Amino acid sequence: MKPLSLFFKKQYAIEEKIQRLLRYLEDMVQLYQGAFESYLDGSFEDLNQGNEELSKIEKELDDLGRQIQMSLLHESLMPDSRDDLLWFLTKLDKVPSSFKHSLADITLEKPEIPEDFQLPLKNMLLHTHDAVKALANATDALFSDLRAVRQHVEEVGRQESLVDKIEYKLLQSIFENEKFELARKYQLKGILKQLGAVTNLAEDVADAVLILATKHFT
Amino acid sequence: MLDPTVLIFLSSGVFLGWSLGANDAANVFGTAVGSRMVRFTTAAIICGIFVVLGAYVSGTGAAQTLGKLGAVNAIGGSFMAALAAGLAVYWMTKLGLPVSTTQAIIGSIIGWNLFSDSYTDISSLFKILSTWIICPLLSALIAAFLFFLAKKFVKKMGIGLIRFDGYTRLALILAGAFGAYSLGANNIANVMGVFVPVAPFPDIQFGHGFSITSAQQLFLVGGLAIAVGVFTYSKKVMMTVGSELMTLTPLAAWVAVMSHSIVLFIFASERLEQLLANMSLPTIPLVPVSSSQAVVGAVVGIGMLQGGREIHWPRIYGIAKGWVITPLISCLLCFVGLYFLQNVFQQTVQRDSNYELSPSVIEKFQKEGIETSGLHELTGKVFRSSAEVVRAVKDKVNLSSKQGLQVVEYSLQINLIVSEEKIAYLDKKVLSSKQMAALSKLEGQKYNFPWQLGDALSEISPEWIVSGGGLKDKLHDRDIKQKLAYLYRIFQRREI
Repeated sequence: MKPLSLFFKKQYAIEEKIQRLLRYLEDMVQLYQGAFESYLDGSFEDLNQGNEELSKIEKELDDLGRQIQMSLLHESLMPDSRDDLLWFLTKLDKVPSSFKHSLADITLEKPEIPEDFQLPLKNMLLHTHDAVKALANATDALFSDLRAVRQHVEEVGRQESLVDKIEYKLLQSIFENEKFELARKYQLKGILKQLGAVTNLAEDVADAVLILATKHFT
Repeated sequence: MLDPTVLIFLSSGVFLGWSLGANDAANVFGTAVGSRMVRFTTAAIICGIFVVLGAYVSGTGAAQTLGKLGAVNAIGGSFMAALAAGLAVYWMTKLGLPVSTTQAIIGSIIGWNLFSDSYTDISSLFKILSTWIICPLLSALIAAFLFFLAKKFVKKMGIGLIRFDGYTRLALILAGAFGAYSLGANNIANVMGVFVPVAPFPDIQFGHGFSITSAQQLFLVGGLAIAVGVFTYSKKVMMTVGSELMTLTPLAAWVAVMSHSIVLFIFASERLEQLLANMSLPTIPLVPVSSSQAVVGAVVGIGMLQGGREIHWPRIYGIAKGWVITPLISCLLCFVGLYFLQNVFQQTVQRDSNYELSPSVIEKFQKEGIETSGLHELTGKVFRSSAEVVRAVKDKVNLSSKQGLQVVEYSLQINLIVSEEKIAYLDKKVLSSKQMAALSKLEGQKYNFPWQLGDALSEISPEWIVSGGGLKDKLHDRDIKQKLAYLYRIFQRREI
């Protein structure tokens, strides 16, 4: 039983929807990682299947996002908090889209990934997964325990920095490799940039979480 | 039977109450309603209920201090005092200067005192004037302290965003209810205080032992007028105040309302005064203070805690200017209005009173420590006004402000008859059995001065003795004085 649940039914209902939204986000990053790895392992079919499931969840996530927005607009939250939350949800909404864009490019271009890129790319995916998970935790903390926000946000930053390092090394090796044609170099660069964009976005949203937490803390 | 003209005269008090409800409710619920945290209907219902409760339950403390400043003794005078205050508030508001009914009614009472040549108790006046500085300062200090604590608490608890929003809303409603109660308790004196000495309503007796006094009925009417003001006209003001205060965070808004409510409460609560006195701590004067001053003080307090850069000082100066100009205008309006009411409309604006320096009165002065060596040539003289008697005595001997009040109190001639039927009429709950027994022994006695009845009672029973000592005695003495005032009112009446 939550404290004073009689008085705060509306607030608890919105919190519950946000929790569901975060679980969807975690499911999506899991699927994204799985689908990308399947492609790296050579299973184009699994990539397609992952892509479809991702689209399905994204639709549910969009519906839930709209429900939350409606609740925020109609449940007479204080305008200041409401505006902040709407601004934040719009930012958060971009993360699932980034998974879709990344996988869509691979599905369309079917790039040939060099053998020695497999492990670093899987590491990038792992850190991306951890960054999004930390983002979900930071967002969860924004609605449950503001004190824990900073720790999760810092974790997002740490994972993003690791992704950046791997991305830079791979880009270096791509452009130093004289065997690759220029077109292939730019294709691989595009795939890497899309993957790196997920953690960049996660870091951007995590900063927004920190701003909101700081604003409401002071 | 109640004279219907009484209702006409009371209309100015009702008008003042209405404008207080329309304007000052915004100090209590403006932030919550203006920021749409609380619906206007919810705020108006809570505010209405708690204002009436505060006025009825705790309204007497502040009204007594106002009564000391000048007891307007005819309903025509009360009417004009309330009307002048209402007009001054209206006029200043039109000029864009935020003012308060507190300042206006003080000016009106002084205006009546000047017109009727009544004695103005300077110590009571200074007591009230000092609160115009103490109130915003105290409010600022409380707000700064409360804000500091609240921030620490919020930081420690780390409450999530949405839940914090809900908690803030509940806290604003609770603070608003407390604020409305305090507003009713403290500011009812502004609205109906001038009618209390006139006591236009007869006490209502319910069976045996329970009655609603004239003052309580007045406060109920005043409280209802404030509530009507809240329902009918405060929405616009609440929205304005709410949007003006939007720079405040929800937490700061709650702190502002809470500090305002605490200040109004401590200047109205007889129980708190009793508690402080019992702990041998200095008591806080029970005086009507301005709700606007309290809110402005609280906002400045929060602003100062954050470095003071965001405080809009020109607006503060504007408000302070209003605090000085308002009482002057209402004083002038009341004086001129009383002149017209008396000489053009032929209404009684002051009751004829005699202040006699009889040998027994001189003896009483001596007993109470007033120098009497030069007063013997005044023995037997009768004066027509309280200021006149004080001037005459002051010509002969040195008088302090408190002694000036004593001279007025002891020389005021009112014939009292302690009859059997009037004793039977008394509210049995007001007096203890021993006090009642002492009173019964005086059945059939007649007195020319009210204090003579008090003295006679204290000779019979220690339960009627006014100690006149320290802080603890102050509350006991006030209780006895209230009971004696009740007896004076009952025994001077010719009919029941």
